[in-house]
Amino acid sequence: MPFASIDGRRYHYQRMGQGPDLVFIHGITGDLSIWMLCEALQSLSKAYRVTAYDLRGHGYSDAPPTGYTSADHVVDLFGLMDILEIEHTSIVGHSFGGVIGAHAAVVAPARVDSLVLSDPYFPALRHLEDVSKWGHWQVFCDEARQAGVELSDEHWYDVGRFFDQILHMDGDRLLDLRRAVGLPAVNRLIRLSKTTCGDDTKVPAGLTAEKLHAINVKTLAVYGEFSPFLATADHLVANLPDCRRAIVTGAKHRAPEENPRGFVRILQDFYLGGNHSLIEVGAVA
Amino acid sequence: MNILRASTILDDIAAILSDFHGREYHDPIVRETRFFADLGLASIDAVVLAEMLESHYGQKLPFGEFMADLGRRTDRDIRIGELVDFLNIHLHVD
Repeated sequence: MPFASIDGRRYHYQRMGQGPDLVFIHGITGDLSIWMLCEALQSLSKAYRVTAYDLRGHGYSDAPPTGYTSADHVVDLFGLMDILEIEHTSIVGHSFGGVIGAHAAVVAPARVDSLVLSDPYFPALRHLEDVSKWGHWQVFCDEARQAGVELSDEHWYDVGRFFDQILHMDGDRLLDLRRAVGLPAVNRLIRLSKTTCGDDTKVPAGLTAEKLHAINVKTLAVYGEFSPFLATADHLVANLPDCRRAIVTGAKHRAPEENPRGFVRILQDFYLGGNHSLIEVGAVA
Repeated sequence: MNILRASTILDDIAAILSDFHGREYHDPIVRETRFFADLGLASIDAVVLAEMLESHYGQKLPFGEFMADLGRRTDRDIRIGELVDFLNIHLHVD
């Protein structure tokens, strides 16, 4: 199993293909397998050297107790790129992985060739969304409810608080919940819940709106048709110098899982030179 | 299908899973054992198990197809017997 060691911590990664570099970054509570399940790695590796890795605290990477802001993850990302001798790369990031990718483009623009931001929600753009009914958490609660599991809808998504609510579920109910919301193995959730990840993902950590607006690399904002964060998508297209939008039909927040074929077709369009019919032209009002 | 070899592959998988990254499962691993529901593993574990199997057999296997198939399943689960069959088809015979 390939690991990179950064400041004494191990990071699990997978690579395939040859060509220009393309790095995939998953979201909070996820892991690199989402890029294989939706066939993004298999498809893009035909023309790129693709690399996917488990964020700290996730998958098979180590889980330090602190250091889970997007700024911390950017240090990890560049550390991994140094070890793997990736001077510069295109980045595909899902959810908080998109925040990390955007933050990387702010910190070191010369190292980021292009960005695909899959349904990110930016702490610095919180004012665009109804935080009291944070969409991701509402979607999550709805999916859990369909599995017969009632979660409190009083609080926005928080790994620690969430785990408090599922800690005492019996095996069958927990299995139903895991299936409904796509959760990874429970032991990894327990591990993550003991870190500062939940709180750290809520802070801008230096990724201000002004810095976001200055991202000048070619960017594609990919959002689910029913994403809770479409206001953020419109904001990115309106304010970033070179940002277009693509919509994944039928998807909510987790397009790589909810419509993998549609999601990957958009990536192919963007990176492999399709007819771009799936990517909207010009700014969205 | 080579039944004798399938039995050997099942034994190989069971041996690997008997000491697999903190997994806690004490029943015998059989063809009907479910990766997700019974073993409590996740898709990232399938990635790592695939690597271990490639190392064990000393050859690259088309696990990208296997993962894509898993991704298309509504319950994201797979029985060990399906993994055995996959290996039985793709393992080269020296």
